[in-house]
Order: sequence, then C-alpha cells, then structure tokens
Amino acid sequence: MGKGMLIDLTKCMGCRGCQVACKQWNNLQAVPTEFNAEFTNPPVRSAYTWTTIDFLITEVDGKTVSTFTKQQCMHCEHPACESVCIAAAIKKTKAGPVTIDYDKCIGCRYCQVACPFGVPKYQFDKATPKMQKCTMCADRIEAGMETACAATCPSGAIKFGERADLLKMARERIAKGNGKYIDHIYGEEEAGGTAVLYLSGVPLDLTKLKQGVTEEEVPNFTWKAMRQLPALLGVVGLSSLGLMAYSSRRNAVAAAEEGARSGAGAGKHPSKGGKHHD
Amino acid sequence: MAGLAATFGRGVMTNHWIDYKNSDVIVAVGANPAENHPMAMKWIDRAREERGAKLIVIDPKFNRTAALADIYLPIRPGTDIAFWGGIINYALANEKYFKEYVAAYTNASFLVDPGFKFEDGLFSGATPGPDGQVKYDTKTWQFQKDEKGAFKLDPTFQDPQCVLQLMKKHYARYTPKMVSDTCGMTEADFLKVAELYCSTGRPDKAGNILYAMGITQSSHGSQNVRSIAITQLLLGNIGIAGGGVNAQRGESNVQGSTDMAMLFGNLPGYLPYPTAGAHPTLAKYNETTPKAGFWTNRPKFLASMLKAWWGAEATKANDFRYEWLPKLDARDHSHMSLFESMAQGELKGLFAWGQNVAVGGPNVDRERKALGKLEWLVAVDLFDTETASFWRRPGVNPADIKTEVFLLPAAASFEKEGTVANSGRWIQYRWKAVEPLGDAKDDLLIADQLYKALRDLYAKDGGVFADPIVKLNWNYGDHPDVAKVALEINGYTSADGKPIPMFSALKDDGTTACGNWIFSGYWADMEKPMAKSRIKEAPGGLGLNPQWSWAWPANRRITYNRPSADPSGKPWDPKRALVSWDGAKWNNADVPDFGWKDAATGAMIPPATSANAPFIMNAEGKGLLFSPSAMKDGPLPEHYEPVESPTTNRLNKRQFNPVATISGKGEFGQLAAVGDTKFPYICTTYRLTEHWQSGAMTRNTPWLGELMPDMFVEISESLAAKIGIKSGDQVTVSTLRGEVTAPAMVSPRMKPVTVHGVVTEVVGMPWHWGYRGMFTGDSANLLTPHVGDANTNIPEYKAFLCNLVKAGATGPVRR
Repeated sequence: MGKGMLIDLTKCMGCRGCQVACKQWNNLQAVPTEFNAEFTNPPVRSAYTWTTIDFLITEVDGKTVSTFTKQQCMHCEHPACESVCIAAAIKKTKAGPVTIDYDKCIGCRYCQVACPFGVPKYQFDKATPKMQKCTMCADRIEAGMETACAATCPSGAIKFGERADLLKMARERIAKGNGKYIDHIYGEEEAGGTAVLYLSGVPLDLTKLKQGVTEEEVPNFTWKAMRQLPALLGVVGLSSLGLMAYSSRRNAVAAAEEGARSGAGAGKHPSKGGKHHD
Repeated sequence: MAGLAATFGRGVMTNHWIDYKNSDVIVAVGANPAENHPMAMKWIDRAREERGAKLIVIDPKFNRTAALADIYLPIRPGTDIAFWGGIINYALANEKYFKEYVAAYTNASFLVDPGFKFEDGLFSGATPGPDGQVKYDTKTWQFQKDEKGAFKLDPTFQDPQCVLQLMKKHYARYTPKMVSDTCGMTEADFLKVAELYCSTGRPDKAGNILYAMGITQSSHGSQNVRSIAITQLLLGNIGIAGGGVNAQRGESNVQGSTDMAMLFGNLPGYLPYPTAGAHPTLAKYNETTPKAGFWTNRPKFLASMLKAWWGAEATKANDFRYEWLPKLDARDHSHMSLFESMAQGELKGLFAWGQNVAVGGPNVDRERKALGKLEWLVAVDLFDTETASFWRRPGVNPADIKTEVFLLPAAASFEKEGTVANSGRWIQYRWKAVEPLGDAKDDLLIADQLYKALRDLYAKDGGVFADPIVKLNWNYGDHPDVAKVALEINGYTSADGKPIPMFSALKDDGTTACGNWIFSGYWADMEKPMAKSRIKEAPGGLGLNPQWSWAWPANRRITYNRPSADPSGKPWDPKRALVSWDGAKWNNADVPDFGWKDAATGAMIPPATSANAPFIMNAEGKGLLFSPSAMKDGPLPEHYEPVESPTTNRLNKRQFNPVATISGKGEFGQLAAVGDTKFPYICTTYRLTEHWQSGAMTRNTPWLGELMPDMFVEISESLAAKIGIKSGDQVTVSTLRGEVTAPAMVSPRMKPVTVHGVVTEVVGMPWHWGYRGMFTGDSANLLTPHVGDANTNIPEYKAFLCNLVKAGATGPVRR
C-alpha cells in the first residue's frame, strides 16, 4: 500500500485553505464565480479546480447543521479510470497517487465516465484538451513532502501518510472518540478501497460524500460500465481526436454539464461576465 | 482592552494561543475563531481531543465555529452584559465561584465608599454631559481606607458595602428570565451554558473565554469585556494555564501597534500621553504617577523614552527635553471624532497608512465625503484602495474634489523584515522572503525618507517648533537598519549604546535610553535576539515555549500567574503548575509575574508577600471585581441597550450607555429611535475566512475572490418568506445612514430572536467589499452608525437597526 490522506470531517472548519493551496501549488487559475448561498465555490470541480470544500447547511430536528466535506480524487487502490484508459496515460503509482501522463492523454473522457466518483475533468477551453484531476501532489511526494492541502490545513483535518497507518489512526480515533464518530471509515472499502479516507461525526447523508458507491473493485465492472456510456461520450471522444473542429460543441457541453451540476442556491449575476479572469 | 486593564492592570490577552490546549471549557463569544482566527482551532481541537474539553459558541449567527461546537447559543446582538450578568448572578447565587481564590486574590472584601449607589440606571456621581449623556465623578466609587491609609476590608464578606455584597445586590436582577427575555435565548439553554461554564470554578478545571470584535465593537464594549473579566476572576480562571480572558486581536500586529502607541492617548508602552493644560512640566506629569503597584516606576520609563528620542540633547538638567514632547489638547482624537473634525474642514492632510477608511469606517459615505475636505491625502498601501481612490468613487465627479492624493506603494509582509507582536504578546521576527514588486518600499524606508525630508526642510527653512524634529535622535543608516531600530526600542545604556537586559535596568537619570519599556528584553542580545529565537518546547509540557520568540512583559507567557498557586505557593492544580513554592524557593515554569526574588540580594521572597498583591499592575494589588477609577461608565458593568435598539431597556431607566460617545450633531448624527417601525430589524456585521478586513489584499487575489466573490446579506428563512425572496435574489438593506444592495443568503444559520416576547429578525452582512479591486460590492459600513464605546470610542458596528426589501434591480448594484 502507498500513501494516502485521512480527512477527519469533525476537524474541518471550512476555511478552504486547502482549495487555495491546491491552486497555488498546481498553478491553477481562478475561475469566474458568483455568490453561492451554500458557500461552496467554485460550485463544481473542473479542470482548474481539483479540490473543493462542499458545504452543507440544513436543519435536523429543528437544529442547524453545517458540515464541510473536502472533495478531490479518491486515488482508488484499483482505479477504474486506469482500467479504461485507452491511451494508457493513467497509472496507479506505487507511491499511492493515481496520475495522468499528459503526454499520453488524448482527452477521450472514458475515465470521467468510468470513475465512480466522477472525478476527472476535461479542459473544455483547450485546443488539445487533457483530463485533469488531483494528483495527490505526486511531485511533492516524490520530493519527500506531504500534499499541499495537508501542509496548509490549520486545524489538522487533513493528515497525509501511509494508507495503512492512516487506517490504524482512523480506527483508533473511532475507538477513543466516545461516540464522536460514526463507525465507518469512508474509503476503506468504497470502490474496493481508496487512498483517501474519511472520518465523519455525522451520518454520511449529512456530508457531501458520494453514497451508494460499490465496495467492489470498480475495474471488475469496466465492461458493464462501458456499455452504459452515454451517447455524448462518442461525440466528445471523436472531437478529441479531431482536436479543434468541435470546440463550439465542447463549450455547449461544458455549459450544459456544469450548469446542471451547480445546484440550487447559486444566484445569477448576468452582469458579471468573466471579469475575475484579469 | 480598556476593560482588561481596569480589571487586571494590563490591556492584553492574558494567556496565548497554544495555551488553549489546556482548557476544559472554552467559550467563544463575539469571536469566530474558525473563520477569523483559524489557527486557534488547532489548539481548541487539541483540548477537545486530549482533555475532552467542551466548546461553547455564543453568537447571533450559526457560524463556522458553531458548526464544530458542543453547544451553540444564539444571542441578540449587543446584549452581552445581560448574558454575562446572568452568569455572574448564577455563580454568586448558587455559590459556584472559587471561594478561596476570590477571597485571596480579588477585591471582594474591600469596602466601598458609603456614598456609592446605583439608581435609575446611573451610578452615583453622575453630572450632565454633552448630548444628554452624563459624566461621572468617581469619588463615591472609591474604597474606604483606615486612618493609616490601608484599605478597609471585611474578610467575612458580610458588610453590605463590601464588594461581594454589592455585586450580589447588583446582579440579583440578572435572573435567567431577564437574560432570556433580553438576549433572546431560552432559559433552559442559558442555564445549560451557565452550569457547564461555572463547572470550571474549581481548582482542577480551567475555563477559557475568547472574545473579539463581537464584544468590543459596542457602545458598551469595554464593559462587555469587564463582565467577562469579572466572570473569570470569580471562577478562578485568571493566571492559570488553560484559563484567561483571551482577546483575539483583529489583525496580526494590532497588539504590536497599540504597544507602539497607535492609540492617540498613549505613548509607547501605554504611558499616558501628557496633556497641555495639566502636564506642562515633567514634574507635573510625574505627580500623576500611581502611588502603588508596578506603575510607580513610570518616571524611569518616560525619562528613558525621552532620552531615546532626543539623545545627547536630553539631559536630566533639561528634563530630557520634555517640553519638546507634543501635548494633547483636551479633545478626543479617535477615529470618529477625527472624521467629524475633517468634515468641518479642520484637518489639512491625512496619512492613511495601511488603513482603508473608505471601507472600514462607520457611516462610511459621510467619511468618504469628509476626505474631500482635505488639502492632501497620502495613502500607503499594497493596492489602489477605496481610500486612495475616494475621489473617483461611483457617483462623484472627480473634478469637484480638490484633495491632492498620493499613493505610495508599500511592501507586503513577506517582502520586508521586522517583528510582529501577536495577540499572545509574542514578538516574532519575520525574515524577508522575496523582494518587493515594482516601486514598492518597506514601511520603515518610507518613514525614514519622510522624516529625513521633513528634517531637511525644517533645517533649511525653519518653522514653528522645529527643534523637536531637527534634533530628533534618528540614526538608522541610509537604508534604515531594523536591528538599530530594535535596539532603540529594547533600550540601551547611554554611555556605550549596549542593549539593556530588561526594563528593571531602566533609570530616570539619563543613563538609559529606551523606546518602549515593555519590549525591553526582546532585543537584549544584538547577535541572537530572542525575537529571532525558534526553539520549541519538548512535547508533554504546557506549551509555554519560553524559547520561541519573546513575550512581553519579561517573557511571561501567562500573565498574573501568582494566582495559579494558593496563598502558600502550592499550585491549585499540580498538572498546571506555573510557579510553585517548595518551602525554601520558587520553582518556575513561567516567568513569575510578581516579586519572587530580591533583585539586589538574590534572596527568595516567601509566598505571603506576593499572595497579598498578586496583580502587580494594580495599585490595590488585587484583581478588581469592582473597578473604582479606570472605567468612565461605571465600576460594575450594567446592561444598556445598543444605541439603536428594537426595545426599551427593561433592566434600568437609561436606554443606552449614558456615557457612550454619541454623534448627535451634523451629518454624522442620524440615529433611529427606539423600536423605530421604519427599521424593524437588527443588523450586525461580520467577517469571513476568505477576506481580510476591508478586502484591499483579498479582493485583489483571484484565488480568494473566487471563493467569496460577492457581498451578500444573510437572513432567516422566516424573513425571506415574509418578503417573498429566495437565496440569490437581490435585496436592499437600509438605515438612516445609507443603503446596501446585494444578493440574499437565506439560511438556517440565521434565526430571529424573541426580545421581551416580540419575535425580531436579525440581518447579517460581511463588511469586506468596496468599489475598487477585482471583486467589488457595496460596503456594509454605508449602514453603520457613528456612535462609540464610552472608554475607547470603538464604533458600534455590531448592533443597529435596518430595513430590508426586495431590490428593484435585477442585477447586482455596484457602487
């Protein structure tokens, strides 16, 4: 087993230092956003936003509940994305991270569809688009450093280390927590095990973690998954081979996908434009 | 900070950030550490994980700290004294206070003047002041003394004039029902918090109260602080690891800037500024030196400061050139008063140095207008701020504004070197990481060149009162050397210029020079100054980290630490021992904050001496439950409504703090009446993790702007339903001062409060936005009133009245 991260949601305070540290280390541009009453911003992850804190503000039995869920690539132990990558660009490395070799990636988006967490994102604005996602700071790990998000986390909610050690730490925290945690380490079994693990103090439906993820290794389902690919995959797959020809279609797809996912509560500011890019 | 000084003797955070890990119950009140002091949460979490500590959050909105709390208690903005008065009453009435501690270390047994009274909302000694307000003569608040001049005490606490009895009487009115009706919380919730927090009133438990601007930014802010300080004295939580009143400052170096005399009434090190009428000579000034406590040394500190300023020119024979020290007139020169004078055309020029008043000031549109009355304005900042560009703000014609404006680009913290004093008084050196961009210069260089240009002009052309400037002792090199400035602040012996080890070495005969006595020791070694020291404490300790930087005073990490041990010198809780007497000598984990060793002979001073006067900065030697002189608005805190309030005051006959600063005149004077139906909602302002103060830095940082791009207005689901809006809809919030339009955030984080039976909505808004930079929006301070605290004049940003309607415009309104 390689490295991983343990994200203790009981310690996360939603400061989003991790989001900024990720963009800074990976040199990812800020994207135009507008006020979101749920606070999550950017509202969806994209080629330029690899990690977000997804806020949930609700009421349970008349009491306000507010949770913060850090989301990024889960770095599966047996990644579906790797198994469907026709360019052999995606690798589960020995060190732990699941990485994409940009020299090989053809931007076909098979990985995005195959991923049980919907992680890899497409560079809609590029002439030769590649798939983008959290690399678990593979370059930092190689240099003996922890991930940028873990290094910056003021409250210590993100711990970086050997996955085996983190699992042990998680079990200890549950055992010693005196009921503070639910008895579940998310990622221990999900998708056949992931390098990123979570502890939660509330039932998972009060977090933004994806639920109903199979506990089997997803590559076992690869062909079943491939048969279910929606029609758009064909179009986009072709467009990535044809490179520039379909850029307008690409933008339409981008708008449709991101619009559909931005959810309720996002106010509309038509006058905003893209001014935050300058 | 005034409330802390009036209780303990120093206006500082008593403990420090890492010490939070030693607490058993932590209250964040008017503070939001998860959003505004994120590193605090690391140590709060440590306490919870390792000690099972409980976190209580008391705030009008369910903020990100509340999301992690064990108990969240909503409170109506501006009613903190009612709440803490309720806690004090609960502790006294149920005997939950730490009796041995209170008896030994506070003034609970002191007898107050028989003339002392509290009637109809006024303490005795009130005389009419301006704007219908009062001024107090504190004669009847003083303690009784016997014929030898010693304080009269009643160790049995039975005398009705003793402090404990007076407090019992005063606070008996603060019943759970009164707290509930006033603060808008249920009695059951109040009692749950009271019980949990008062569980720390025993030797083996530590309770920690964190506060920030939610407490101080009030017309009775200093008395809010006093209420917290009194609570902590009653529960024996002062001077111990894990306890304290921990004032979390609003900026990284606020502590350092007030230490260095940013407040107009102070010289460096909190020496009171001399006034023209009362203190024409050094002898007259020194006549006001306190007669007991550590401040008896004050003449040495001032003489050394004057010696530092004017060097060889300052001699004992010429009173160290005291006549060159500018004197204050009798007027208030704090922020609001300054802008009111500016609006009257009384100010010629202004340096806005790292301060963005055109976003941060109260009633800010009037303050922006006042800037137009200046002949010149110099803004020193990292970016073109709203202040630097006030002349081209939306809605004005630049040709109509005659003010000449200069913008000097300044270096950011990573682009310069020097020290920063954090809330816990640690003075930490910061090394330069990168060179400043473009023409940006570090502040020290800007100040140095400015001074030299002024000096040369005065030398060449002469002028009124030129000597203090021309003859100033200013020699830090062509590019000023931080180490030379630091040496002067630390202090040195006049003869050889060598650093002094500590302020105890300072003299009033001219043989020592010292820029700021409280910093003496941070730069005592020119090669290896403590400010640069970075040695961590071994694991398993209390986290005092005595070799990591240097904390004023005298490298003490926990102030007033004598009360951590009982009168015989035995720690109340051996697991938190800071100082301990073993029968022959003191064993100290922290630097003792009391006389423990005779400086001349080195002989140990037995515990009985310090037990009698554990608060060395107070003339009484005790922690002041009843503060006889230092507060302008009363020796005990009393609840008054915010100046703008939806309800009448039910606790007494005065509506709001009778000594608060009210701008009753002119264009700054617009105030809504009590329960004004045109402004039916309570409004409060706050800060967010993603932005910093006026947003000058963060609204120019794309990665931060994308997280929180827009101004917004936070309201409850019930208010949203009432006016028919949903999240994202534009709403307009108005007060008598102005209006703000922004998208609504409809959220269960905000709930209405029930005030004396009336359901009242609360509107919250962050105040980070303005009209310059990459992310713009309306400034919340367009709405805030020009009224302030009686002692500090800090504006009442946290509680005022507003109206809120659905905005007519479809898009965001920018101004």
